Amino acid sequence: MTRLTGGLIDRSQSLSFTFDGTRYTGHPGDTLASALLANGVRLVGRSFKYHRPRGIVAAGSEEPNAMVTLREGARAEPNTRATMAELFDGLSARSQNHVGPLSFDMLAVNDLLSPFFAAGFYYKTFMWPRAFWEKLYEPAIRRAAGLGALSEQADPDAYDRGFLHCDLLIIGAGAAGLTAALTAGRAGARVVLADEDFRLGGRLMAESDLLDHAPATQWIASVEAELRALPNVRILPRTTVFGAYDHGIYGAVERVADHLPTPGTLVRQTLWRITAKRAVLAAGATERHIPFADNDRPGVMLAGAMRAYANRWATAPGTKGPVAIFTNNDDGHRTAVDLMAKGVPIAAVIDARARSEAQGDYRVIAGGMVTGTRGRLGLRSIAVQHSGGSESLSVGALGVSGGWNPNVHLASHHRGRPVWDEARLAFLPGQGGPGGLIAAGACAGQGSTVDALADGHRAAVQALADLGLTAPALALPHAHPRAENTAPIWHVPGKRRAWVDFQNDVTVKDIALAHQENMRPVEHLKRWTTLGMATDQGKTANVTALAVMAELTGKSIPQTGTTIFRPPYTGVSLGVLGGGDTGTNFRPRRLTPTHTWAKAQGAVFVEVGPWMRAQYFVRPGETYWRQSVDREVLAVRSGVGLCDVTTLGKIDVQGADAGLFLDRVYANAMASLKVGMVRYGLMLREDGTLYDDGTCARLAEDHYVVTTTTANAGPVYAQMEFARQCLWPDLDVQLISTTDAWAQIAVAGPKARALLERVVDGFDLSNEAFPFMACAPLTVCGGTRARLFRISFSGELAYELAVPARYGNALMARLMELGADLGATPYGTEALGVMRIEKGHAAGAELTGQTTAQMLGLGKMVSKKKDAIGAVMSRRGGLGDDSRRLVGLVPLDASHTVTPGAHLFTAGAHPSMDSDQGWVTSAAYSPHVGSSIGLAFLERGDERMGEVITAANPLQGQSVAVKVVSAHFVDPEGGRLRA
Amino acid sequence: MLDLIPLCALGATTPQEFRQGALTLTEMPETGLVSLTLQRGAARPALDLPEPGFWAAGAGHAAFWTGPGQWFIELPGRAQEDPIPFLAPQAPGCSLTEQTDGWVLFELQSSQGAEAIEAFLEHAVNLDLCKMGPGRATRSVIEHMGVYLLRRSDDRLAIWGMRSAAESLWHALTTLARRQSARG
Amino acid sequence: MLIPHPLLGLRDAQEFTYLGDASLIDRPEGSDEAALADYVYLRDNPAGLHRELWFHEQGDRSWLVVTRNTLTHEIVSAELARDVALARKEGVA
Repeated sequence: MTRLTGGLIDRSQSLSFTFDGTRYTGHPGDTLASALLANGVRLVGRSFKYHRPRGIVAAGSEEPNAMVTLREGARAEPNTRATMAELFDGLSARSQNHVGPLSFDMLAVNDLLSPFFAAGFYYKTFMWPRAFWEKLYEPAIRRAAGLGALSEQADPDAYDRGFLHCDLLIIGAGAAGLTAALTAGRAGARVVLADEDFRLGGRLMAESDLLDHAPATQWIASVEAELRALPNVRILPRTTVFGAYDHGIYGAVERVADHLPTPGTLVRQTLWRITAKRAVLAAGATERHIPFADNDRPGVMLAGAMRAYANRWATAPGTKGPVAIFTNNDDGHRTAVDLMAKGVPIAAVIDARARSEAQGDYRVIAGGMVTGTRGRLGLRSIAVQHSGGSESLSVGALGVSGGWNPNVHLASHHRGRPVWDEARLAFLPGQGGPGGLIAAGACAGQGSTVDALADGHRAAVQALADLGLTAPALALPHAHPRAENTAPIWHVPGKRRAWVDFQNDVTVKDIALAHQENMRPVEHLKRWTTLGMATDQGKTANVTALAVMAELTGKSIPQTGTTIFRPPYTGVSLGVLGGGDTGTNFRPRRLTPTHTWAKAQGAVFVEVGPWMRAQYFVRPGETYWRQSVDREVLAVRSGVGLCDVTTLGKIDVQGADAGLFLDRVYANAMASLKVGMVRYGLMLREDGTLYDDGTCARLAEDHYVVTTTTANAGPVYAQMEFARQCLWPDLDVQLISTTDAWAQIAVAGPKARALLERVVDGFDLSNEAFPFMACAPLTVCGGTRARLFRISFSGELAYELAVPARYGNALMARLMELGADLGATPYGTEALGVMRIEKGHAAGAELTGQTTAQMLGLGKMVSKKKDAIGAVMSRRGGLGDDSRRLVGLVPLDASHTVTPGAHLFTAGAHPSMDSDQGWVTSAAYSPHVGSSIGLAFLERGDERMGEVITAANPLQGQSVAVKVVSAHFVDPEGGRLRA
Repeated sequence: MLDLIPLCALGATTPQEFRQGALTLTEMPETGLVSLTLQRGAARPALDLPEPGFWAAGAGHAAFWTGPGQWFIELPGRAQEDPIPFLAPQAPGCSLTEQTDGWVLFELQSSQGAEAIEAFLEHAVNLDLCKMGPGRATRSVIEHMGVYLLRRSDDRLAIWGMRSAAESLWHALTTLARRQSARG
Repeated sequence: MLIPHPLLGLRDAQEFTYLGDASLIDRPEGSDEAALADYVYLRDNPAGLHRELWFHEQGDRSWLVVTRNTLTHEIVSAELARDVALARKEGVA
């Protein structure tokens, strides 16, 4: 292992790790990439399409090549950039996208077949026959071309989210970000400073330049210490701000535990939603390369990355020979100088510019071009062309610098359009990006250390002024001024393939082909060649590709334009976006007040929206759900049953105009309801269709309690608030939901009264004193306050008894205990459903949003005497004339089943859309009838009682003869209700 | 007849308590709750009714703002009784609705002052903590569940959640506390 | 997005549900079917300033009239819908 001197690694500790099973060591402070390079590992993966050997290109999040599968087992994470993976002891990584060993990938044959795999190849070749695409072509292509594989195991780690609110969010903690943070922090602003790196300092850590005549790390340390001491500054390292959203909201992922072997009790990552009044984007810049023939060989790197590896990680890029630099700017020379200072031999600096001077004791080839490379699995030599002819240089590594692209991404979210700066040969943040975001430093084109330090301060001053804060003076550290002097040399012309986008294997030739095929607009170029569509989003490729296309079309780069920038800046795991909990706790559950009791009684629960309701109660010996449900139904119809109906929405309506208000919200009249009585209510949508139904109980002149269906509790309440606040704000009405406050238990069956008499405290339950549809406050069980409603969903003599929720569990147990001799039986939602079908009561399956009151046979309930939501529209032609009616169906052969969803046809008619007569909405086995029964909407159904029709279910090849009957299978006269 | 034995929202006969690091979370079943809404044209009753976004303690009760012209009145120790007859004489011109069992009250106590409460809030709710100092009260959402948050003091936070979702809310809150403790 | 609640200040849009065009406040009185059909079905869909109804469902349950630029999402104002509706009624009366 070869290390240079210096660097920000802790040599006192060694970390052991494996790559493709081979054991290596590194140090704290290393990334996987720097440690691999320090161990002389150059070949780290195979390319996406051609399976070309690839090495590390960059030193940051822009890395296009060095994608590895990190960790093992369920924690294995494919497509992790080795440049972003912090080294820890025991880390294991595997290379991707090869069959056989990395050094002899069988699929490298694709490279020989490259003429077939040029841009657009798939589009043209695999179009025919169509059926082959899904079954044959796509799976094969996906196997051959690709990235790492998922573990296909459940993610064992936890993720969470967090919310930060600040005055100023600073994105990036390099030179500009740090001066911005210091300025704003000292001014007392609430600052969040986020950086994707695990150390603050950004590019300063990669450079040898002094700040205030001392290593930059000293200045960084002093700034960090001051910021950490400020209570108003929050520092988030390992945090990538990945997107800018409306009104100053930013998304960020903090990699809380990715640098640890396992998270332990920590979450792995946190998704931060940051609401910032202002933001400073100090995201730095990304170096671009210069495409030339076979420029993708391991050992060819970005020159700036090479410098970072030497300065920050004490890693020499090439151990197999001297280093050459290919540049079109002064920054490339800087790498040569820094490498030489570390004792790395420099073969030459090939400077594409005609005029170039050495900045130190190395050879400069001015006006030179690198025209090719050699070396099977890593660079061995480069071909150089210059005014004196061509020569071959034996090198171990080549650093390439084509200038720097400001990281304008976040400034270009919200369709902000970057603007071309011809002097800097770079896109700078333009207009139309996220409001309140100020770019500073290298991402604003102020890339030299001197400029970046000053620009960060300037941006913070501007932001503080917007916030009404005064910025204190800031003494900027002294730094060495530098210039880039980049020349517009974008690629080296040649016949061989020169890579532009390494990760998606897009070459200059592919761009030329796109041009030839008239895929010239950038958005077409992108999709036709897949340029910039890999996981790195073309950070090192896009601008170069635009320049190549501009050259081909003869247009300027700004005329060629950029594609639209969208979040995320770098990949974000779905786990962290999902955040929160998994499994049972994935979403909140609502439990009924009798849940504890029901669980102990062997209830099987069913999810009804967020609610967990008892579906049926299994008794010993019952092996099939229908046994339980049939028993429960029969017990109610013959004795008395108990069901928790708390989930129905309850809304307390008070005020002098409560009756008038309900008259307008319900289709039928409510103001005329007598105190102490309940009325069934129909609620329409304004378009005249049925919305919801429920009961209105009038507790006092100015006090009603209304119920909604379980599913619509929230929407109906919102709708009533809309009516109160927006439609009739002049009415004296007060609304509040009380769904959870009261446990409500249905007590149903011929013995319901007998049972209730045993719990009420001296309350007269006789039919005369408390008739059908009566309601009253009372006390039960020796003083527990309660409300009693004589309403029935089952069709039996029935009541609903409400007590404060905390007593619900005990009340249920008490009713069961006291009703033992009456056969008191708990029933669940299945039995509830069977009985409401037997009684012909509409529920969710009938209230589809396309149903009218007439269809339910309730057209007369829509009062013509008053205005109510939906009343006028319900009478319009088409809707009012709908002749489908709710009917009951029984199969002619009692052994046959009525299937919900089946469509209805006149007997003997050929089933078709034209002959369709309606459909079955609900069906169940009725223990009362002794066969399957159904509810249906049938054309002129009310006139067709007794007719035999066909219920067809073509999906299951069923066709059942059914007889049309009244929807009220049980007690059509309603005698039982009133008993 | 015997009285019915009430259950706490978390399903047991006694309230739950959870400790993790600096935080203690306690189920508080004894506080009564009433919604108070001004009727049309009514004057504000002589109760301590705070402005929007605030919470205020009065004699034997506390109140927090829940909407225009609407407050929730907390009545410590009065959860078992009908709170309306108690409150009605003090609230002429108001519509009162019993809310005690519509909600579950959890109190979060920090042994490390404001810092632990704020670190908790940071991962729980999307609120600007500048507006969550002592005396503040607001409705918000924790893990998709609507809650009222009352900052009783620097080191104490009250959380009123839907009673039916008490178990899920408790799980969410204790998970937050565990994770906070892991972060250290 | 952040909604500038007139009583509570900036609140995250996640606390709100959206209904649509604020003209829903202007419900026609009486039984004119054509007017109601217009009210129920016809909406303007402006590119630019749009007055729309938001419900602070996970907040104070106020309905708000929010004036938002549909092109930029800039929010120009937010008022209590009840105040808007009352002002309309007074204007009509």
